[in-house]
Amino acid sequence: MEPLNLAVIVKLEPDFSEGNVSYKPDGTLNRNETKSTLGPHSGIAAKAAFYAKVKYGAKISVCSMGPPWADIALQQAQQTCDADVLHLYSDRIFAGADTLATAETLKTGIEKMQGKMDIVFSGHRASDGETGQTGPQTAWKLGFTFIGNVISYDVNLEKRTVVAKCLLTLNGVPNVIEEIEAPLPVFLTIDPSYKSNFTTVSQRIAFEKYQKEAYERARNFKQSLKVFNIDELGVDKTLVGLAGSPTIVYQVERIPKGKATRQAEVFDGSNSEHIRKVVAKMREALSAMVIK
Amino acid sequence: MTEENYRHVYVVIEHIDGKLLPVSLEMLGEARRLFDDFNARYSSNEKIVAVILGNNIKDFSKELIEYGADAVVCADHPELKDLRNTIHTKVISQIALDKEIASRIEPDYAKEFKKPRYIFFAADSIGRHLSSTVLVELESGLASDINKLVIHDMTVTHQIKTEGKPTLFKKTLEMYRPDFSGFLWTTILCLNNTTPSIKREYYPQGCSIIPGVFEPIKPDPKRSGEIIFYEPKIDENDLKVKVLSHKIVKSEVDFEIRKAVVSFGRGIKDAPDENIKLVVELAKQLDAEIGISLPISKKLLPASQAISSTYMIPARVIGTSGSKISPMLYVAIGISGAMQHIAGMQDSEFVVAINPDENSPIKNECDIFINGRMEDVIPLLVEELKKQQQVVQAG
Amino acid sequence: MEKYDVAIIGGGSAGLAALKQLSTLGKQAVLLEAGKKVGVKNISGGILYSKKPNKGRVYNVEDIYGQNFVNEAPLQRKITKYLLHATSKDKVFSMDLTAAHEYQSNFGYSVLMNDLNAWFAQSADESAQKCGGGIVPGVHVNNISWDDEKERTIIQTDELDEFQVKAVIAADGVNSEVAQITRARPKFSAVQLYQGVKAIVKLPEDIINETFAIGADDGEAHLFAGDITLNHLGGGFLYTNRDTLSVGAVYHFDSLLDSPIEPNTLLDALLKNPMITELIKDEVPVRGKIDKTLEKEKQMQIRFAVTKLIKTWYEIRDVYLSSSRRKELIKTGKFNSEDEIKSKLSETREKMSSQYGIQFKTDYVEDEYGAKLIPDGKRCRMKKPYHKNVLFVGDAAGRGVFVGPRIEGLNVGIDDGVRAANAIARALEKNNFSQGYLGEYYTKSIEESPYTKDMKEIDKEYLKIFIDATKDVPKDILSAKHSLVLKLMSSGAIRSMAAKFVNVLGYERLLPVIESEESYVKVPTELAERSGKTISSSYTPSIPLLADRIAKLNYNDDKVSHIKVLNPNNDFMKKLVMLCPTKCYSEENGQVTIQHEGCIECGTCSEQTDWKHPRGEKGINYRYG
Repeated sequence: MEPLNLAVIVKLEPDFSEGNVSYKPDGTLNRNETKSTLGPHSGIAAKAAFYAKVKYGAKISVCSMGPPWADIALQQAQQTCDADVLHLYSDRIFAGADTLATAETLKTGIEKMQGKMDIVFSGHRASDGETGQTGPQTAWKLGFTFIGNVISYDVNLEKRTVVAKCLLTLNGVPNVIEEIEAPLPVFLTIDPSYKSNFTTVSQRIAFEKYQKEAYERARNFKQSLKVFNIDELGVDKTLVGLAGSPTIVYQVERIPKGKATRQAEVFDGSNSEHIRKVVAKMREALSAMVIK
Repeated sequence: MTEENYRHVYVVIEHIDGKLLPVSLEMLGEARRLFDDFNARYSSNEKIVAVILGNNIKDFSKELIEYGADAVVCADHPELKDLRNTIHTKVISQIALDKEIASRIEPDYAKEFKKPRYIFFAADSIGRHLSSTVLVELESGLASDINKLVIHDMTVTHQIKTEGKPTLFKKTLEMYRPDFSGFLWTTILCLNNTTPSIKREYYPQGCSIIPGVFEPIKPDPKRSGEIIFYEPKIDENDLKVKVLSHKIVKSEVDFEIRKAVVSFGRGIKDAPDENIKLVVELAKQLDAEIGISLPISKKLLPASQAISSTYMIPARVIGTSGSKISPMLYVAIGISGAMQHIAGMQDSEFVVAINPDENSPIKNECDIFINGRMEDVIPLLVEELKKQQQVVQAG
Repeated sequence: MEKYDVAIIGGGSAGLAALKQLSTLGKQAVLLEAGKKVGVKNISGGILYSKKPNKGRVYNVEDIYGQNFVNEAPLQRKITKYLLHATSKDKVFSMDLTAAHEYQSNFGYSVLMNDLNAWFAQSADESAQKCGGGIVPGVHVNNISWDDEKERTIIQTDELDEFQVKAVIAADGVNSEVAQITRARPKFSAVQLYQGVKAIVKLPEDIINETFAIGADDGEAHLFAGDITLNHLGGGFLYTNRDTLSVGAVYHFDSLLDSPIEPNTLLDALLKNPMITELIKDEVPVRGKIDKTLEKEKQMQIRFAVTKLIKTWYEIRDVYLSSSRRKELIKTGKFNSEDEIKSKLSETREKMSSQYGIQFKTDYVEDEYGAKLIPDGKRCRMKKPYHKNVLFVGDAAGRGVFVGPRIEGLNVGIDDGVRAANAIARALEKNNFSQGYLGEYYTKSIEESPYTKDMKEIDKEYLKIFIDATKDVPKDILSAKHSLVLKLMSSGAIRSMAAKFVNVLGYERLLPVIESEESYVKVPTELAERSGKTISSSYTPSIPLLADRIAKLNYNDDKVSHIKVLNPNNDFMKKLVMLCPTKCYSEENGQVTIQHEGCIECGTCSEQTDWKHPRGEKGINYRYG
């Protein structure tokens, strides 16, 4: 049986935790002053890939599109999944790409990786704006079966299929869990509630062993790293960066809201006029537009 | 290419386990409002096209028309029973590009039609991914998680898109996305390609819409519309993907699906059974889920078995050791407002507290404080709610 | 079913020593640890000793982890001075016990368990993997069963498929679940236990050196008796770590049950003592109040900016006030010179006060609160520390040496771990796990340990050193009972005979005399009043509320409670409302209920509850321990 060939797509993101994040006076993120880190969802995708490595044996390549300093995201991902290969696609021309153009870059990169890819993993979404399109769009460009919202999965090495459990969160109805079987190759985006289901002591010992290896590799991550500019990647220039992006960010404005801390208005529970006002306000609250 | 090549808004309808998802009707409602204005402004007659895929789904068509669709494209096929990304993406794309369908929707521009002008999806576990893959297949742009839409003729100057020259883009969909901080709105535009050397047309302008944002229109049984049955072309190879199981995750309490939550605390102590019944009645009027404060789940107060096992359970606890919720309306009844409770509800949009003690800490955490005993206040609220409800229905 | 030779349950220092030793002997062993990582559930006082008894041998850390241990392991400071302070409200009488501390000792280092056990684990795991074993964290053992016919021992866990082993080492601590599963011993009772509570106080390295007037590698241990006990049987301690202090209190659990008091109150009493207040003193930034009328968003921005600045300030300051880290960062090119660090520090400080109104005041900073039960080896060591092919070590076997100011647990557990490993290695070679060949052999080995001897009888040589140290104590303070003992012991000629006599009487009869209110409270308080130095503190420390201490801890709460109250009306449980270090219990209408969130798994309530550790990876995660 052939060992699995896996790729993970990751992203460098601002660290939004208190103590690391910084805002400009106008309320927008101060990217220069804010620490960058491997996106939390990317980390979960790497964790999911590591599961297959421990359980089935696999070669893992991690890739990212970003500025030169995004190599630290790759390093962190390597520490999570014990990756063998790290790819960074970095070129000024890639900047400003929307998800369609990003997907083109990532697709080209993954196709350049050694061997036929079996599973590609990506995070649920990024925490700084990307809303979970890049994964499925890359999948479609690769021509891989796309399975989203994955909370656990297993591979059948003989049949070369994957069975994934997916969590569908839908508004107005209870959640649904579906089990989907698909032949390899597949593209999985990993739900935040993903769990690696190791069931035996030997798997857990292998987990610890590879984790140590991962730590060592990540300390010398530059040895596994390859950086590609646009020419080295050999991607169609009209399909990437701003030129390849159908959408643009036109403007950023403040959401007219800005409620200060709550200031309770006191009503008398025995006054019918008061009760009428309260009910009107409650109904108004319920019909207001949600901004989530 | 002319602007007549791109027409209508296609709305991809979601349903599960034999029910339309509320977001489907919300999308139709917003499309209706936008297009009534659009058609008036541009003296045109573009349509709202509901696209629905599934097995035995014909019955939804009428409902979709009542809620604002001008036409329903219905792909009803046994292999569409389950949601499989590859198959669904292909069928939606087929429908979007099908001239036959377009000619039935609007015979006048049947020849010119190339692609839909706009396409809407739901920003949920289904639509978020489906919108992504469909828009790659259609080679156009997508903005996700949108909560405001405006259509304008816009003059845009962009260094690359328009080579720095002011350029008019007609009937452009401004798609507003709240950013991660919740304080900022990003407007995203999908602008058609203006570079002649690149043979691409960035239509439809696609977006996914956050559920619960827009209101459906009032259903009108008299509305009529075209129902179009589409026979999907399904690739044999794509059938190798199988949905092995489909399980509804039953939870006895679900704070997420309700806009309102009514919680009670130790204030019920004088007559637990009777008071909880009052709370239940209020929750019913507000279509709210019922929550409790931590001490209630410890079953320290005597209540009947039926009441206690339904309402005084850990799954209902709001707070650090329970659920953290952010409903649009939160009503705290007989809850003093311990820190551990506040942490669970402080993100609520609007908070009403009912409490006889004006010094209780909850007063600092609410928008409205009703001074009074729950026994007295709730019946008045319920009565008033019923009254105001009737007024609306009558109007 | 998977098969392994040995399962070790619990990744504390005893279990890890057993794993290291078995692996060194080439035996396959798997260590299961319930915490997310080895070390996160461990807490100790903590001083780690290496001993050299006159008679017999013990297995020391460096025997297992190599002679280079002290250079490689994350030890804090070598304890070079050991003092006992008798306290009254504002006076302190100090006695130097360094000689007693150094008695039969190679060294004693202050340690923090999380780091140290992680280091042990790395070394043990490396060796274990070579033998096909290893450490598996995040796994909670819930049962052991025997299939005698097939000679199989089966380990069941909450997380993994069951598996089979030939022998087991139970190293799961004072609240050993293996002891309950196997019924090898009853739960420890209050009279056999101490409750310890500790705070980690943050203090930069150079400031510690200055305050205690010690070198960068030297450390001090201080013990406290008298007024700080608030009339309970026990005392306080303060150990210097590299850039923290361990400040804690240890009390006889039965005395706490007699007159219940909150553990954090006992800790606070210690921190409020002027001598300690002065020792923990530092400069602390104080956030200004954020204007609540500002927009929520603006308030949040200010809060975030302040947090970031304070964090940066601490980072730079901790480097600046540590000679080793200063040098390291200059070497790695992060900074060019000490002056650069200094100017960066003052620049940050300036920004803090000018832009955000952050002020600086004299105070102290607490980083971690924790608690633990400690088994008193004199009263509760297992006489036969095994059941079938399961051997008990360390706290799980109720083993620790507590004689006056001599407080040793870690080294005892490590010695046990090696002995258990040796016994099992021997059994594996003969494939004989019978009671006679394994259990009894291990029991004998344990009995031979000098530590066991110390749990059974008084060492007269140690006593002499101790008595010499207290020679300045006016004898008339002591009661008749005490002074008789002391008189007998002080005289060189009759000491040997007296010790023999005392040992014939046995610890059981003697201990109530020694471990009494007289010794812990009255004598020290009077001593301080009469002969002590007056000490006053220059500030009032802002001691955090218990709620704030708990909020600072890192938990991964399990939705399912790991503790069940057996009888909500029980008197013991009612006292627990007071005695639980994190206030998990409350009483209403005469019924005690538990809120398990916030539990730090000390097991104080274990005697009268159905008590288990939380499932794998759940529960408390100590940062220092």
